Amino acid sequence: MSATILLPGEELPSDSLPKTKKGTLTLGPGLRHIPPTSITATTSGSISVDNKKSAVWLENTNGRYQPSTGDLVIAQVHHGSTDTYHCALTPQTPFALLGQLAFEGASKKSRPHLLSGDLVYARVSRAVKGEDVELEGFNSATGKSEGMGQLKGGMVFEVSPAFARRLMMGSKGGVKILEGVGEKIRFEVAVGRNGRVWVDSGNVRTTAAIGRLLTSSDENAWDVEEQEKALKKALKDMS
Amino acid sequence: MPPQITTSPLSRPDGSATYTDALSTVLAAVNGPLEVSRRDELPSEATLEIHVRPAAGVGGPRERWLEAVLHAVLRSVVLVHLHPRALVQVSLQVVREPAGGGVGLGKGRGEVAVLPALVNAAVLALVGGGVGLEGMLSAVLVAVGGKGELVVAPGVEVLEGCESLHAVACAAGGGLVMDESTGRFDLGVWGEVVERAREACLAAFASKGEDEAMANGDVEAEPWMRQVLEEKVRDANAWREST
Repeated sequence: MSATILLPGEELPSDSLPKTKKGTLTLGPGLRHIPPTSITATTSGSISVDNKKSAVWLENTNGRYQPSTGDLVIAQVHHGSTDTYHCALTPQTPFALLGQLAFEGASKKSRPHLLSGDLVYARVSRAVKGEDVELEGFNSATGKSEGMGQLKGGMVFEVSPAFARRLMMGSKGGVKILEGVGEKIRFEVAVGRNGRVWVDSGNVRTTAAIGRLLTSSDENAWDVEEQEKALKKALKDMS
Repeated sequence: MPPQITTSPLSRPDGSATYTDALSTVLAAVNGPLEVSRRDELPSEATLEIHVRPAAGVGGPRERWLEAVLHAVLRSVVLVHLHPRALVQVSLQVVREPAGGGVGLGKGRGEVAVLPALVNAAVLALVGGGVGLEGMLSAVLVAVGGKGELVVAPGVEVLEGCESLHAVACAAGGGLVMDESTGRFDLGVWGEVVERAREACLAAFASKGEDEAMANGDVEAEPWMRQVLEEKVRDANAWREST
């Protein structure tokens, strides 16, 4: 597989547009449309096409996490105000807003009381350029939490946004660590697209060991073999 | 000799790069888009903040001048309207400069000599940091020797004996975005310099097809900037091949 690589400013070749009968074309990250007909890259990356969704985007690993609607993120509460919590998604960026009632079963009388520093697994419900990002701690369409909500205990580890994305892809992402550890040890994990992984195994030693496996796999770009080797060693140390 | 590049040497910033050529070494780091202070906020576009740190000591008027030049150059390629009310921060640390900041080179030469390295390092870091760019950009230093010969990307010995020195940056379309010159020269020489510099700049990120057209002449035809950036994308997607 050798996809075409584009550099900033280069035009998307028309033969790499998705081949569908669908009338609309979705442009993903790294591309912009200059009317009337040219599509150019804004950053470097390899062209990826999804024919079913009629989408085309640039696959790259660079840069800071940019919130987009529907992303699952791990937000850290910075402070609360009358009806919202102000949460940090990435350092040095404006706070995202999380409604105090945007949790499963929350009402004016009973709602989760979060303090500064608390972690929430949330979804980006609104991300418009130049405006505040909004989060929700439950699926507002169904009213169910679907795994979202406050994260109690455990530890958070920082990884690159690209690695977090691979973790969320499951077995397709080429990261075997979580499955490998899960065969031996019981633990909970939440992966946020903003480059944060929360791990809780009820035991600080194993939690830290799992986190260390993930962060060093990200930093050293381990392939599957190296991951398995490190995993074996870590499991031996843990038991 | 093509310049030596390291992509992402730093882990904390969003994008970083080191650039080393015959004269200077520059370490660049890019962060953005970030929250911008009220004072610097622009309602319709991103604020671009450039910091230049010299190899020794603290920055002075010289660094402020370099920052001003770089601000104009980089603003012409960064898609500032994509991130209104945000901040894009570019920090450049000069690690090595010709003859210790140009002290032995004559007035103004050290500043002009380090400019291309600063521009190239900043562009590489911006691409690495995923900041939206309008197009590619690269810069080159051209020296005019005593007999009127042009030397692209000169070494220190050429720098000491040259008549004039020109730092030129070109954007992808061939447009001139930076031209800082020092020394004695006339309009004819300057025109030749810009022509040669444009060739060299465009060759840095020429695609394989255009590459052969650039290969005539003794300009280094190797598209080093493209190679470095493509290599990085390939490395990032390497895990896909193995699964």
